[in-house]
Amino acid sequence: MHDVNTLAWIILLLPLLVAASILFGLKKMPGLSALLSTGSVLITLVCSILLFSATGKAVPVTWISIFEFKVNIGLLVGGDKDPLAKGMMFIVTFIGTLVHIFSLGYMKDDDGKARYFAGLSIFMFSMTGIVLADNLVMMFIFWELVGVSSYILIGHWYNKDSAADAAKKAFLTNRIGDFGFMIGILLVWVLTKQIEFAKFTPEIVANAAKSPLFDIAIIAIFCGAIGKSAQVPLHVWLPDAMEGPTPVSALIHAATMVAAGVFMLARVSALIGASELAATVILWTGAITALVAALMALQQNDIKRILAYSTLSQLGYMVMAQGIAGQGADAGMFHLYTHAFFKALLFLGAGAIIFGCHHEQNIWKMGGLRKKMPFTFWTFAIGTAALIAVPGTSGFFSKEGILHAAHAAGHDFPWVIGLIVAFLTPFYMTRLFIVTFLGKSRTENADHAKEVPQIMFVPLVILAVLALFSAYKPIAKFLQAKGYAHAPEIDPTFGWSLFGLIAGVGLAIWIYKGREKERINIPLFANKFYIDEIYNGLIAIFQDAIAGLLDFIDRFVIDPVVARFPAMTAFTAGSFFRLFQVGNLQGYTFLFGAGVVALIWFLLF
Amino acid sequence: METELTLNHFLFVSGLLFAIGLAGVLLRRNLIVIFMCLELMLSAANLSLVAFSRFNTTDGVPNYDGQVLLFFIITVAAAEVAVGLAIIVALFRSRETTDVSDVTSMKG
Amino acid sequence: MPVYYLEIIVVVLGLVMLMADAFVKLEDKRNIAWFAVLVLSVVFLLLFKVSWPESTEGSPFWKFYDAEKGSRGFSLFFKGIAVLTTIIVLIMSAEFRGVLLKYTAKPEDGAHPQSGLSEFFTLPVFACAGLMWMASANNLASIFVSLEAVTITFYILVAYMRRNVGSLEAGVKYLILGALSTGFLVYGFTWLFGVTGTMDLAGIKEQLALDSVNVTAALFAFALIIVALGFKVGAAPFQNWIPDVYQGAPTPITAFLSVASKAAGFIVLLRISGCFFGSGDLSEKVGAVFVVLAILTLLFGNLAALPQTNFKRLLAYSSIAHAGFLLMALASPITLVADGKEPPLLDTSIGVIAFYLGAYLLMTLLAFLVMTAVRNQQEDDSLEGYAGLAKRSPFLAFSLLVSMASLAGVPLTAGFFGKFFVFKLAIQNGACGWLIAAGVIGAAAGFYYYFKVIASMFWNAPAEGNDGPIPVSMPAKVVMVLLIIAIFAVGIVPNLILGLIK
Repeated sequence: MHDVNTLAWIILLLPLLVAASILFGLKKMPGLSALLSTGSVLITLVCSILLFSATGKAVPVTWISIFEFKVNIGLLVGGDKDPLAKGMMFIVTFIGTLVHIFSLGYMKDDDGKARYFAGLSIFMFSMTGIVLADNLVMMFIFWELVGVSSYILIGHWYNKDSAADAAKKAFLTNRIGDFGFMIGILLVWVLTKQIEFAKFTPEIVANAAKSPLFDIAIIAIFCGAIGKSAQVPLHVWLPDAMEGPTPVSALIHAATMVAAGVFMLARVSALIGASELAATVILWTGAITALVAALMALQQNDIKRILAYSTLSQLGYMVMAQGIAGQGADAGMFHLYTHAFFKALLFLGAGAIIFGCHHEQNIWKMGGLRKKMPFTFWTFAIGTAALIAVPGTSGFFSKEGILHAAHAAGHDFPWVIGLIVAFLTPFYMTRLFIVTFLGKSRTENADHAKEVPQIMFVPLVILAVLALFSAYKPIAKFLQAKGYAHAPEIDPTFGWSLFGLIAGVGLAIWIYKGREKERINIPLFANKFYIDEIYNGLIAIFQDAIAGLLDFIDRFVIDPVVARFPAMTAFTAGSFFRLFQVGNLQGYTFLFGAGVVALIWFLLF
Repeated sequence: METELTLNHFLFVSGLLFAIGLAGVLLRRNLIVIFMCLELMLSAANLSLVAFSRFNTTDGVPNYDGQVLLFFIITVAAAEVAVGLAIIVALFRSRETTDVSDVTSMKG
Repeated sequence: MPVYYLEIIVVVLGLVMLMADAFVKLEDKRNIAWFAVLVLSVVFLLLFKVSWPESTEGSPFWKFYDAEKGSRGFSLFFKGIAVLTTIIVLIMSAEFRGVLLKYTAKPEDGAHPQSGLSEFFTLPVFACAGLMWMASANNLASIFVSLEAVTITFYILVAYMRRNVGSLEAGVKYLILGALSTGFLVYGFTWLFGVTGTMDLAGIKEQLALDSVNVTAALFAFALIIVALGFKVGAAPFQNWIPDVYQGAPTPITAFLSVASKAAGFIVLLRISGCFFGSGDLSEKVGAVFVVLAILTLLFGNLAALPQTNFKRLLAYSSIAHAGFLLMALASPITLVADGKEPPLLDTSIGVIAFYLGAYLLMTLLAFLVMTAVRNQQEDDSLEGYAGLAKRSPFLAFSLLVSMASLAGVPLTAGFFGKFFVFKLAIQNGACGWLIAAGVIGAAAGFYYYFKVIASMFWNAPAEGNDGPIPVSMPAKVVMVLLIIAIFAVGIVPNLILGLIK
């Protein structure tokens, strides 16, 4: 069993098997489907833990080979030098397991329970595929599958218009990014003749980087990450995706799928390192996303949306780190790990709150939950502490790592932006915390809130422990992460971010302590910089313009020249050919004889 | 005047038979006659097979491979006729005609 | 077990079926078909277990039955196609019995109500034996006999519904044109024998490669043989019979013709043309003939399919079109690797053709299974009868959707890789531009007429009177599900079929 090949294939195929058996046979037995799905993800978790100490190599299967274009179904697990897949695999299966367990309680009475768990299993299959893929094409295929499964899960309650719209929006927005990704893959293949990650050696990359197209290729690949990791300007789908069931938000839209973009960037870091332009674009996109998302989070009232914007902002950090490259890329991946734990914790906590408050999501209609849901309160507090980077928690170390790397690499402006975000994050999270848990209950729902069933505690406790301690040596080493905890250096970065933390928390306490409703109104932030409205307007204008243009082209160019004429020709030719099928036997023998004569003439003369 | 028979003489006759058969298939309208002409084409092949076999000698012994095929052709032709005539009879029973220009319901 | 036992088993099976019909009292004659399906399935499994002789020297039998090391895999593959097709055709025939009995006999007093049914199950088994032999035939005599064994069986089967105008007319047309092509075939064989002095394909290849060979006579023989084999596979301009015969024949027989008969025709074509590709002078001309035939067939099959309104006839034209793609592979002759090594399977015509036929078997039989089920409910096979099929039977509509998508060559289906490998081979071997252009036009036209069927199934309302649900029997349903799975499996992992050849 300690063989990388066996383990990796089990991890990849087991969820697919489960999803298929649920869809094709067990649809009518939701209880069994749920258990099967949970059991399978538990097995994959065990496998991915075994993977850390496993030996050997995964054997690729040639899928298709056309001229020099060869695509394997290969699994890249990597050795000690390249622990990326192992660590990520653990995160995915671990969070996956907890979310499955949480879902057993959360989705207990849902009508589409079997469908929900099948969706989760398909997601686990696709996500595993991204993590294990050893080449860009295979990664792209699973990339698309992840998009599909996220579409299914966001739209789980498809009877709700907003859910169906959100699913569609997520799918279409991702499609824009994926289109860029596809072009990028093609360009990279054209330039390097390689698609396998392991084959991007320094010589090949340096050779390819001579071409002016190289920068474009890397930026195009980055488009994929912009879509999947919800960076500005394609971030609009993520907050809407909160329409899905909350465990899904925790698994897909906080911890794993959205991190796939960052993971992909880490995979191709060899390529990014060779393109200064692309690295700069990535750096700034990340920094801007971190800032903009944090500003938007200030004025949201829906608990899940606040968390969604904070996810955006943290993803901005990670992407920024990938743009720094080198030490920064490691710090980015490390932040991905720690963030996965504490953000999943926060989302599951939010799920518990929503569950306890009878599906109320507006924080202003909660309040006083500390006494009603003490357990959730404490775990949520730990998650918040990690997110706002209280020194000593896991979030602190990983975030410091990124800011340090930015400072060390001389990217001063992004560094400042990072520090501003480090002030904004404590502010809006403290606001959320105070309004939700402290003070008096403001509505009936909040007044009657009850602690959630015990099966939902298990994930919360485990995650809380990890949110606190995952940056410390034993755990971080186990994850084979490269940037684990170190004693804080007393330098400007540390000083400023500590100041930001204290200032943010203090300011939020001063403003929101004991308040019944919002005190400050900044419409620009509350309305998310009007980006959705701008997009809608742009789409409307472009649609009209493009539709007019297309109509013109269609009517006067395509229709007569491209469509009508060939179609007419083909039909005429076809009808002409039909004339040979006279139906008369003698006609046939005659044509047959003519064919013989023609053939002999052709061959002999 | 006596001339020796050569391979070409046989091939010429065989070719003539084949052409007559083909012409009959193309020109005649009665299914039975067409069928007979088809058999004529097979006989043309048989004739040339025997000729090739007879004139293709090694150490004075003809190449009997060709004559093996000939017997197969005769047998197969018999089977073909048996089935073919049955079908033509069935056609005659239902349509009361053996004229090819009457079987044209499917075309295009 | 020696490989030729398989043919013997199949022939004995046919005899047993005839005996069973005569001497065993059966309530339901379909039991004979189930028995045959069972035995043929065993034969299919035995294909993986056969052994070949160590040496074929001195034994006269092996002069007629191919045992060359390089072609054993292909022989078995084509035998497998024949057996598999026969199994599915038998299941289809059992499903089709209602229509069949209506047009065969008026049962007299005291006669079995299903009299005349068992022969319809037995004849395909005999044809199967012939097809299996054809896959191994390596001598002009054995090629001729096996080919005729199959053809004559088909004469009977096509005309089987003797009270149906279409079936009888199809039978007559097939009979006359088939016999005509036989005449050309034997005359061609005669000349080939005359030129080379041998009946053995290996010997013929040797002789043709000599400088002393009479090129004109050899090409004359080749022309006559190509006429006959072109007729068998449905290559233009010898494709005339296909639409009429396919339309008139009983549906299971149409399926049998379009898959097994075509596959067998292609393996003979490959073997004989292989002899001619050996020598420089000949191979140039022979290659040119295949290019011309392929272009004509591609254009004719695909374009003439566009205006069709009868679904069965549409599939007949589609069958011509697919013959065009197969000829396209044949027209791109084998390029031998310089150091004399065996080229990879997909760089050879025979490898690509075998793959294409394997994929073609899956999707075509699926379409005909659907057609059989629909035909049980209504009188004709017109396309209008398929309007709104999605509402009448979602399962059948989905099956037909998969089949049509695969025939059109949509990615992720088996048909895609079939077409893909053909084009790849053609481009790799530097085929002439006109051939590739014809292929592209054909593939594009194909999309149109296959999707016409899909659109009509899903978007149109059922026609008046043809709107009841359509029952499908269990065995047919199982086969259809298996075929659908196979189409997708091959469409995702094409190596599945390639693995079978090795």
